[in-house]
Amino acid sequence: MRLLWLFLALALLGPWFSEYGLKLASEAFILGLYAMAFNLLFRQTGLLSFGQAAFFGLGAYTMALLVARGGWPFPATLPLAFLISALGALFIGFLSIRLSRIYFTMLTLAFAQLLYAVAHKWYAFTGGDNGITDLRPPGIWGESLFYYYVVLFLFALGVLFLWALERSPFGYALRALRDNRARAEAVGINAFGHLLLAFVISGALSGLAGALQGALQRSVFPDYLFWTRSAECILATILGGSGVFLGPAIGATVFLLLRVVVQANTEYWPFFLGALLLLMVLFFPKGLGGLALEMASRRLKGERRGASGS
Amino acid sequence: MDLGFYALQLLTGLAYASTLFLLSVGLSLIFGAMGIVNFAHGSFYMLGAYFLYAFTRGQADGFWGGLLLVLATGFVIGAFVERIFIRRVYARPEEYQILLTYALLLIIEDLVRFFFGTGYRAFPMPQAFAGPLFLLGTPFPSYYLFLIGLAAVSALLLGIFLYRTRLGAWIRAATQDREMLEALGVNVPLLYTVVFGVGIALAALGGAALLPMQAATPGMAVDAVINAFIVVVIGGLASVWGALLGAVLIGLVQALGVLFLPEWAMVFPFALMALTLLLRPWGLLGRPPAVRT
Repeated sequence: MRLLWLFLALALLGPWFSEYGLKLASEAFILGLYAMAFNLLFRQTGLLSFGQAAFFGLGAYTMALLVARGGWPFPATLPLAFLISALGALFIGFLSIRLSRIYFTMLTLAFAQLLYAVAHKWYAFTGGDNGITDLRPPGIWGESLFYYYVVLFLFALGVLFLWALERSPFGYALRALRDNRARAEAVGINAFGHLLLAFVISGALSGLAGALQGALQRSVFPDYLFWTRSAECILATILGGSGVFLGPAIGATVFLLLRVVVQANTEYWPFFLGALLLLMVLFFPKGLGGLALEMASRRLKGERRGASGS
Repeated sequence: MDLGFYALQLLTGLAYASTLFLLSVGLSLIFGAMGIVNFAHGSFYMLGAYFLYAFTRGQADGFWGGLLLVLATGFVIGAFVERIFIRRVYARPEEYQILLTYALLLIIEDLVRFFFGTGYRAFPMPQAFAGPLFLLGTPFPSYYLFLIGLAAVSALLLGIFLYRTRLGAWIRAATQDREMLEALGVNVPLLYTVVFGVGIALAALGGAALLPMQAATPGMAVDAVINAFIVVVIGGLASVWGALLGAVLIGLVQALGVLFLPEWAMVFPFALMALTLLLRPWGLLGRPPAVRT
């Protein structure tokens, strides 16, 4: 319920944003969706994927190639971007999920870099490092306010879906597998199938985010597949707090705002990002969301204690 | 394309493999003994190159002293980083270890950009390697032989260190059971500092040794760490000989790939890594993980 109020507030906010604000907010929703998709794996299954960029980029390239080479209308490419990323995730997931922890992380990274290498070199098809540019969506789709609502709508849809997923039997099964795989399997949960499905859902949502980002930027480059792009969703998640449902989305917003502020003043944005990440990991591993929850619960406890004491 | 041409490619591949080995063996050691996946490993490799440049002010006559100095500074910086940062996350889930070292990668890259600028920093070929040598009538840079020799000597010394000294035995023991080692009275935290220092020193040496052949840029750290991962995964985590085998394989695949299918040369190492992970996830010379019950 509270989620719906949030979406309503964001929708009402739309007309008040400047052109630049709309772009930034749209980007925040996209990165938020991407990070939430990553966190479905990270939080629910405990799998750290360092290759989410593979699906982000697959979605973006599917959209870009269909629009630029196939002449498709932009909206029609979105379901396909979703589907192709899901297929990509099915393939990569099928190969990597059987591996444990660190090897899973490495294999996802390797596949993403492999796709990056292909996109980078295959000039005839992907345009190589020239990328695919001039992707302005036609008509009303190219207008910032309308696009803001499109992105917000899909973001809301994705978030509600993840919210329902977390409370579904499927979500419980994932957490059971994360906490004690042997026991979960002993009660009859098919570990491989569950994890693969989670991986595919996460990949498909990442692909949708990638397609939306490509249309927002009006261009797609191989760096959509690069590993720093995979790190982005991890950073947003850690910043916002992986243990809080909306944490990754909050982290994504803070991440983008910080980038705007820092980049306006200095070219050393990665340094700030690194220093911030260092501080978060060392001192606030629960992220901003976790920190806020902790403070809220402390205040609540304090009030109760005060009440019982009087 | 005569025989000499192929021999040259082989030599090029081996020379490349030599720096890859110096780069990756530390990553492998650190993961093996400490369980830390060091994403910042390539950054120290890059620092090695820049430090050589800074120590010698870009002059070739300071090369030998510079190399030794880089090795020593690498150890000190590695030990320092382990004490200040890495130490705090041993008990944490590995995600946090990866993120911490990733943060270091970002910070070091920007520090290098700040102090050295974004341009290339090239280093002249040291006097001793100025002239080419000939192999089957084909000229090749004599520096190749130095790189190969450096890697061979390093591998040999490292092998002796790990398999013939007490400290080395402790490090190998740490890869298997840290708690038992601690119970036997070994100062494991200090041991970790040493392992991290040695690993970083070797990476820095590798970066410095490559400098006369290839100019340094701030972007080299990311490429280096990914290459190091590939080498280590193929060879097997926590194995010195695995790192050597992995480095030689990738070096040759890279050299032959550029020769025959230049468009796809970039893809081969990744494909080889993915294939290894699928067929033998613990690497060619690694140990399969013990089954925990």
